Amino acid sequence: MNKRYGMSVDIDKCTGCGACMVACAVENNVPPAGAGVTGRKGITWLRVYKIDNGEEYPERRSAFVPMLCQQCGVETPCVHVCPQQAVEVDPATGIVGQMPERCLGCRYCMAACPYHARYFNWWDPVWPPGMEKTLNPDVAPRMRGVVEKCNFCHGRRHRAQERAAATGQRDIRPGDYIPACVEACPTGAIRFGDLNDPASEVAAARRQDGSFRLLEKLGTDPKIYYRSRREWVRQIAEAPKPGGKENARA
Amino acid sequence: MTTRRDLFKIVGGSAVGLLFTPAPWRLIADSALWSENWPGIPRPARGEIRTRFTHCGLCPAGCAVRARCVGEQPVSLAGVEGGLCPFGVAGHHLPYHPARLKQGDRQAAAAAVAAVSEAHGTVALLDLRPGRTASWTYRRAMAALPHGVYLAPEEPAFAVDLAKAKTVLSLGAPLLDGWGRPSRVFAARSGFRLIQAEAVESRTAALADQWLPVRPGAEMALGPAVAAARSDALQSRDREGVPGAETNNAPLAYGAPTGPGSEALQSRDREGAVGAGAILDAPFGHGAAREGAVGAGAILDAPFGHGAAREGSAGAKTNAPLANARGSDVLGRGALRSRDREGAGVAQITGLAQEQIAQMARELRDNGPALILGREMTSEVLAWNVRVGAWGKTVGPREEAPVPHEWRKAAPVTPLPQVADGSLQALIIDESSAGARIPWADIQPKLAPDAVVVLLACARNGYAEHATHLLPTPVYPEALDDLPAPVDAMASEFRLSTPLVPAPEYAVDPVEFVSALAGLDAKDALRRRADAIHRAGRGRLIAYADGKSVPVKDLKPEEFWKALASGAEWIGEESRGPVPRIAPAASPRIAPAAVPGIALAAAPRIAPAASPRIAPAAAPGIAPAAATTPPDAAWPFFLAAAEESGGPLVSPLLSKIYQESRLRLGPHRAALNPHSGFAEGSRAAIETRYGRRIVEVTLDAGVPPGMVLVAGCGAGLEACRVVRI
Repeated sequence: MNKRYGMSVDIDKCTGCGACMVACAVENNVPPAGAGVTGRKGITWLRVYKIDNGEEYPERRSAFVPMLCQQCGVETPCVHVCPQQAVEVDPATGIVGQMPERCLGCRYCMAACPYHARYFNWWDPVWPPGMEKTLNPDVAPRMRGVVEKCNFCHGRRHRAQERAAATGQRDIRPGDYIPACVEACPTGAIRFGDLNDPASEVAAARRQDGSFRLLEKLGTDPKIYYRSRREWVRQIAEAPKPGGKENARA
Repeated sequence: MTTRRDLFKIVGGSAVGLLFTPAPWRLIADSALWSENWPGIPRPARGEIRTRFTHCGLCPAGCAVRARCVGEQPVSLAGVEGGLCPFGVAGHHLPYHPARLKQGDRQAAAAAVAAVSEAHGTVALLDLRPGRTASWTYRRAMAALPHGVYLAPEEPAFAVDLAKAKTVLSLGAPLLDGWGRPSRVFAARSGFRLIQAEAVESRTAALADQWLPVRPGAEMALGPAVAAARSDALQSRDREGVPGAETNNAPLAYGAPTGPGSEALQSRDREGAVGAGAILDAPFGHGAAREGAVGAGAILDAPFGHGAAREGSAGAKTNAPLANARGSDVLGRGALRSRDREGAGVAQITGLAQEQIAQMARELRDNGPALILGREMTSEVLAWNVRVGAWGKTVGPREEAPVPHEWRKAAPVTPLPQVADGSLQALIIDESSAGARIPWADIQPKLAPDAVVVLLACARNGYAEHATHLLPTPVYPEALDDLPAPVDAMASEFRLSTPLVPAPEYAVDPVEFVSALAGLDAKDALRRRADAIHRAGRGRLIAYADGKSVPVKDLKPEEFWKALASGAEWIGEESRGPVPRIAPAASPRIAPAAVPGIALAAAPRIAPAASPRIAPAAAPGIAPAAATTPPDAAWPFFLAAAEESGGPLVSPLLSKIYQESRLRLGPHRAALNPHSGFAEGSRAAIETRYGRRIVEVTLDAGVPPGMVLVAGCGAGLEACRVVRI
């Protein structure tokens, strides 16, 4: 049976520490930003947004929303617009993969992504001298001119598959494969697993009260489930980008 | 028949048509990619993948770390018991940080200190992370010098157990953002209700069950105020003749210690010894102790040195045993009236309603065990915890891990305020490990005019600008060091931050440098300490590699040491004992801290950011406050330290959170309230009486009006002005 990997994010547990962002960059060999690089041109496969209830001090309340590729399962916008077939949905896992070797750099996929979760390599990847020794051997750095995004740490999945194969198993056992952000999260706000497995934590989390998906109305079947007990937090489900101006309440 | 004209048409049409296909663009792109591939794209190292264990040395929390290595080179770090903080996740980048110090004249520095020592001048060593084996070596070295002084910030003489708490009142402590060991804090989080009293909506405030937005700098005022409000409730009940009020409320209202050690404490109090009262007496250097009072009632009424104890409370006079004390018996009517006035004053200082404070007190009483946390875990915080009955439940003593007997002859720990001004001819500062930060404004007066200052550091952004000699040190994960137990560890601990990569040749080991000055051989100090722990035979060894927990007595010394060096952790037994004696605060730190334009009574000053976790890097141009002046027309803002910046060096990859996502306040940004008159992204100069810094303005509605937050400035509260540029 095919897997359908997904994530659950408990916004009420997220402290916005940023450990997931840094762990993601370490795992996937994303370089540090050069001087002057802003959020628009930087590369953060996973970005934590700070949102608030729109009130003034001292009534203001904040929350943190980790935002990554939502791994759309149906009518995946980036797949549809890519002229190079550089984006594919893996039917065995449900993961939307990006192949930089095929990418033309046209950035149609960035324009099509309703979640703004794709990033373009404007510059060569550069690490401070000596720091390239710390690169993850399972992930190749991407060159200038291609788009990249979260792929649920495909390097880890390959490692887990190799380990499983070495022990004579066909499938990866739950827990043998978790993305770097899940492993790094100190509060346990991010969970990962197979949505097709009813016993998995993510499958249980999506059935909980207060669970929602971002822009579910688009019908793209995103596989990232968020959860919050706070009503004003759940309103981000209708917004194209958490904390953006588009999300401003009247 | 095809003509030549047709041929031209076909060729021309094909050329034009080709432009509308991806082919030429693909060719251009591929050419560009090929051209990009040859020189610059780094190739990750290949080799055998190994897993090694160590402990993160970036902060006193000392999280257990599992390092994935290619050969000997770590390529990723992960937590063992839970996640790591963002600084720890990228800790293996630090040896390659471009801003790392790489030069220093070790011989010149050693000669300068030796010259002072030979001339019988006073040589002092400032240890910013006390409690390590290195600290014992420093103390031994200072004892060996003719006039050696060992300086260190105050360490909490107690530990807290969050797992047993049901209600936690945090007075500005960054409980969910770098306080204690993250794995313990978040494992316990679902078990307690968190009330966060803080002026700014910090990460902890955002995730707290209840956030109380108090006035800037007034957080610590709530500690005694909560107790005072609770006592009011008790008096009311007494008046109404509520049955059982005495038995139900006395322990809470008067801090009668329960659990281990309570009898000893009561006995000591009966004997007239200075017990809990001495702890509680003078939260800010005034109060009952000065007046000679030792009872709990005295403490109750002296939140900031203006209480009933000074006026002669009944508690102070009677010196009643704590456990048997009853509100009206101990305090008397006069004291209560005084306390009422204090409650109103504290409400005014904090900006909270008296009923809110009373409600908080009731919550601490009714939903116990309770725990009060301060930004710094000082003796005052311990005192308040004793008052809420936390001693022996959520707060308790913790012994230090055993040390070799012969080390006990080391130099004592001298608090900096006890050093005479102008008396230090040479000062060595170990800044290699992030720890508490003491403002230079507090250090500088202690130095003689021509004093030698030797700084052992890995970067230039701390005390470097004040040093006469700067020596580069190893950084995590190059340095071998042990880690003192964090404040949330009830049992003593011993764990090593084992190097994952070798230190470069230019790096000077601080312990080696200091011990050489005193002629000590301290190379095997950690091993000797481990042997001493093994000889004591207590506790267990937890090996993360296999998850096994083995009693120390079942191990041979060599096995014990080998396991520790491989990333295992020794955990001792929880201590049981009476409330420790704690001297009153060395110097009063009282400064007005109010919203500009509102004149208030004296409020406690936030001590400069000596977080138990990570020392913020000093901001160039802005010195920490020595004393705060109230905001006025010339200094209309309060400058406050925002979040911790992760120590003197952070991985360049932290650009993800400081620069690209702006998730945290970066070192050159300042946060202001949207109604402060500044535009998002505009540039401004923050001016204090110590200097000036140019910042980019970030508007944040979680910052109260009249306050400006700057990351890593190392300041508590400081009056400042913000100038548009």
